[in-house]
This record gives sequence, C-alpha cells and structure tokens, in this order.
Amino acid sequence: MSIVGKSAHSAKFRRNRWLLTAILSLYFIYTFLPLFYVITAATKSNQDLFSTFGLWFAADFQLWENLETLFTIQDGIFLKWMANTAYYSSVSAIGAALFATFAGYAFAKYTFFGKKLMLALVLGAVMIPQTALVIPMFLMLSNLGLTNTPLAVILPSLVFPPGVFLMWAYIDDAISNELIEAGRMDGAGEFHIFSSIAFRMLMPGFATVLILAFVANWNNYFLPLVMLNKPDMFPITVGLAQLYSTAISGTGGVLLFTVVMTGALVSIVPVIAAFLIMQRFWQGGLGAGGVKA
Amino acid sequence: MAVIELRDIRKAFGAVEVIGRANLTIDDGAFVIFVGPSGSGKSTLLRLVAGLEDATAGQILIDGADVTHLGPAERQLSMVFQSYALYPTKTVRQNMSFGLEVARLPKAEIKARVDGVADILRLGDYLDRKPRALSGGQRQRVAIGRAIVREPVAFLFDEPLSNLDAALRVEMRIEIAKLHQRLGATMIYVTHDQVEAMTLADQIVVLDKGAIQQVGTPMELYQRPANLFVAQFIGSPKMNVLAVRPDGSALVFADDSRADFGMPVPPSLAHIGFRPEEVQLLPAGQGHLQGKVEVVERLGSDTFVHVGLGALGIITSRMPGNVLTISQGQPVGLGLTMTQLHPFSRDGIRLS
Ligand SMILES: Nc1ncnc2c1ncn2[C@@H]1O[C@H](COP(=O)(O)OP(=O)(O)OP(=O)(O)O)[C@@H](O)[C@H]1O
Ligand SMILES: [Mg+2]
Repeated sequence: MSIVGKSAHSAKFRRNRWLLTAILSLYFIYTFLPLFYVITAATKSNQDLFSTFGLWFAADFQLWENLETLFTIQDGIFLKWMANTAYYSSVSAIGAALFATFAGYAFAKYTFFGKKLMLALVLGAVMIPQTALVIPMFLMLSNLGLTNTPLAVILPSLVFPPGVFLMWAYIDDAISNELIEAGRMDGAGEFHIFSSIAFRMLMPGFATVLILAFVANWNNYFLPLVMLNKPDMFPITVGLAQLYSTAISGTGGVLLFTVVMTGALVSIVPVIAAFLIMQRFWQGGLGAGGVKA
Repeated sequence: MAVIELRDIRKAFGAVEVIGRANLTIDDGAFVIFVGPSGSGKSTLLRLVAGLEDATAGQILIDGADVTHLGPAERQLSMVFQSYALYPTKTVRQNMSFGLEVARLPKAEIKARVDGVADILRLGDYLDRKPRALSGGQRQRVAIGRAIVREPVAFLFDEPLSNLDAALRVEMRIEIAKLHQRLGATMIYVTHDQVEAMTLADQIVVLDKGAIQQVGTPMELYQRPANLFVAQFIGSPKMNVLAVRPDGSALVFADDSRADFGMPVPPSLAHIGFRPEEVQLLPAGQGHLQGKVEVVERLGSDTFVHVGLGALGIITSRMPGNVLTISQGQPVGLGLTMTQLHPFSRDGIRLS
C-alpha cells in the first residue's frame, strides 16, 4: 500500500480547511469583540453608553469630545500617565531584554559551576507569577526607601525569566560554538565576541523578548499599584482604574465612564505601534551563510 | 614558522579520557595530517594545540616556549573550521580584518594585508559581500583568507573541505597544497579523507581511541604500517588480513590449508596482511589459496576482484585496467609473495 498525501484537491483536505477556518473565526470573534466594544464605547456619550447596543456605534459620535475630556481632565494628568507608562515600560523592557540576553548567552555557551541549578531556578521562576512576589518586593524596596520612585517599578521588572528561557533556547541554536571559537582565535575577548559578533545575530530573539517585556510592563497593574501612591507617578493602568473607581462612586460625575473607555483605547495604540515597528527585526535568517548547516 | 611539540598531553572530559599521553613533534614548515576514525580524538588534539581546550596534563611548546596555559590568540595560530565559522553579519573584508583590528594594527596595514590576501585567494570581487551571498568554495576561501591575514606561526585546519562537493574538494585541495608551498608555514590538518591525507601530508599522524598509532610519511605508513589498525586504516581498498600460525617454513591458515614459502617464518606470527595489489590472481589450483570470485568492481582505471575464501572470509585483489578475463563465480587461485607480506603478532604489532 502506498502512502497518499492530502492534496489541495482532495475532499478531506477541503473539509479540514473549512473546519480550521471556522475554529479560527470563532477565536477571532472571541478576541476581537472586547476590543471592538472599547472602540465603540469610546465614541459614545455617557448616556448612549448605557442606552445603546454595546457592539455598535451610537448616532451621536462623541469620540473627539471624549478625547478632549480625556486629555484635559485633572489638568491633563492622562498625558502624564502615558509618559510614565512609556518611561517605565521602555526602560524595563530594554533592561529586561539585555539581562535576558546576557543570561541566555551564558547558559547557552558557557559551562560554569552551578549552571544546572541556576537554570532550574530560572525555569522555576517562569512559573511564579510576579503578582505573588509583589508584597515581599514592596517590603524590600520600602526598606531601601525606593517605593514611590520609578525604580520601584523598574527594578523588579528587569527580572524576566521567560525572556531568559527564550534567549537561552534561541542562542543555543542561532550561534554555533565554532563561531565563538573563531572569535577567540582572532584574539577577541569574550565580551567583544558577544557584542560585535553574537549580538547582531541575536536581534530577532532580542526583539521578541523586548516586545514581550514591553507589553508585559505596559499592561502591568498590580506592581505599580502597590509601589506607587502619588497620582502623578501612576502609569495608565493604575490611573485609569482610579478614574474608574471615581466613576462608580459617582463623585466625579458620571461622564467618566466614557473617558475611561477612551483612555483604554488610547493606551492600546502605542503597543500596536511597537509591534509594527519591531516587525522588521523578525526577518530571521541573519545567521545564514556564516556557518554551513 | 614554528616547531610544535606535544609532551605527554592528556585530555579528559570529566572521567572520560579522550587523549591519552600524546607525544608529537611537528617540524617547522611541515604539513602534518591527523587521520583516524570518527571519535578518535583528532579534533580534540587539534583544539588542544589551538588553545581552545585546556590540557588535563602535559605540555605544549611552540618554538620551545611553553604555551600550555596561553589563550588561543597568544599562541599566534590560525584555525580554519569545518563549518567555516564566518561572521555572518560582517562583510568579507570585515571578516578578514576583524582579528587585525582586535590586535590594533594600523588601518593602512590592515587594508594592505587584506587586499594582498584577497588577491592570492581571488576574493577581490567579493570583499563587500556578506558570507551568505557566497558559494561554498568562496566561503571556504574567505575562511582561509581570514587565517592567512593574521600571519600566524602555524595554521590549523579541522576538516576544512568536508562540506564541499567532490569536484570543489579536489580543487581546494590543490589550492591548499599551493598555499603551503607559497607560505612555507607549519600546517596541521584534520581529515577523514584518505586521498587528502596521502596527497597533502609530509607527515601523517594516525589516531585511534585517543592514542597516536603511528607517525610517518604517507609512504612509510602505506609500506610499513606499525600495527594492524594502521594497516587497515591507510589504503583503499583496505589491506587484506588473514589469521595464520607458523609451522616451520610454512603458514597454516585458519581452515588448516598450508602455504609453504620455503623461508623462515617468525615464530610469533599471528596475522599476515597484504595489499590488494600484492595478491596475484592465478588459474584455479595454482598459488597459495583457493577461492571463488564473488564480486567484480570495474572502475575503468582499476578492477577490484573480491574473492571468497570460504571460512577465511573475503579478500580483495586490485588489477590495473579493465580486466575482461575475470567474471563472477569463477574459481581462482591466489598467489602471495613472502617478501611483500606484512607480518603482525597476536597483539597486532608489526614484526620485523
Ligand atoms: N566537550 C566534550 N565533552 C565530552 N566529550 C567530548 C567533548 N568533545 C569531544 N568529546 C569526546 O571526545 C572523543 C573525541 O572527539 P573528537 O571530536 O576529537 O573526535 P574526532 O576524531 O574529531 O571525530 P570526528 O571525525 O567525528 O570529527 C569523542 O568520543 C567525543 O565524544
Ligand atoms: Mg572532528
């Protein structure tokens, strides 16, 4: 009996493809609906938000008014929050990606005492959510007098175990030992080899970890909530939540619900932009040609 | 220009000894080839010389100076890797100049050296390309160029041609031979390939299980292999070996057939070896052994005849040209010449 592959013309292939499309469509709707709700809600007036169908636009298009309120409320504090978020997440992401690359390189390319144990610790740390560690970290940082400073948010975020794990696997594959040895034969020191030969080959991996860390920090809520208590130091997540709680307690006037929605919409835009910008680093194949596979 | 000496070099990875007490002197300007089966320690020995591995014990001397504890660059050696190991993000020029920049040579000198070497290796047109835009042979030449520009005291090659196709391999082999003549530098070269070893080497070092089995010129190894391992490793098709026991001036084979040469036979003789060209095919009934032709391989230039000897196994005979008078299934006699036999003891050590 011969083995016949599924060709694009076979009935089975077509059936499978329909099924796949159906499943993916469901998944798309599932992920896109909340986002769509945010988009429509940001264009509504506060009355319409509660009186019209949630998943479609109201007759009264209020996006510009909502944006204006958002950026002027409390003397334009929303802009301050955005700047804070951008600052915390870019510094944290760059730092986390660099440390993850250093650590991943060491794990992939060197043998040293305690390597297995340390690798096990990193793998274990991947499974512990940061949330679980926030309170002990708060106690630690408050003893150091660092709470209510940007460092309180940035320092804990520099530790990014999934990034270490990713870079370890990536580097192990992307950089051959012979390449490093060629650098040694050429007389280059270990850091020189890393920075002038290896690092540029690692850009796709580095970019991946960078964006993952960036998004994780951009969306981080619990850590800044615990570490910071001055409103002008808040990132968007904490700031919006505060606006929201003002809205449900009714003190700041009911119009705040749409402002929170508009704020949520605005806060997604930079993340999408970051994805689009980083895309060009995923070209891959940078290592091709140097080392024969 | 360098004399490289290994003294009692040992290398173990954890508890596993990979190189055991290697002693070797490589003369200035010599082309030395390490051969041996896979896992015999060729690469490890080369990397020990390069300084990419630390010796567990022993000393390495270059021109009399102890370099055992020096790093790779301080030993002033260059290495060409099997995978080429070119820096993929750098251009050909940057690949070749990297080592010189690390050594902080003046810019003008770097340029002059790279241009000079690019000229020798016909890489002038590719200097601004990245490795991925080069063919296998060109990449190999860049890797060699990168080794040459540093003007090392010796070159180390680890199977540099094994990723090339057969035709290119022959071409690059000849280029490397020319390069050796031109530079006159000491070269150590690891290969699996018999032909590379026989044609390029001044001296061949045969390794097996981490031990040096024999060191000699290609012809010494071919004509006087020191033991059964070398005898069967060097030469293609490989040497025929038959177990024998001496009986006066006669040899008794394992199937109790006898061959009397009328000459004294060493009493400790346990194996005889003979190259495929050292056995004569005769009409059935003549010669020292009787057999039947099992397979005939015709290469045009040579004919390999594999003769089944029953319980003794199969031996190979090589005849020049395309021999039409031999066909499969034909009974034949085999003629040996006592003076051409390679005698080995029970432990496989050459006698006489
Ligand atoms: N880093 C290492 N750790 C442990 N064992 C090693 C290491 N490097 C090599 N070995 C072992 O040492 C032995 C010799 O290896 P080596 O690479 O020198 O062989 P080789 O003769 O070059 O083989 P090949 O022809 O396949 O390249 C092998 O058994 C190998 O498994
Ligand atoms: Mg090897």
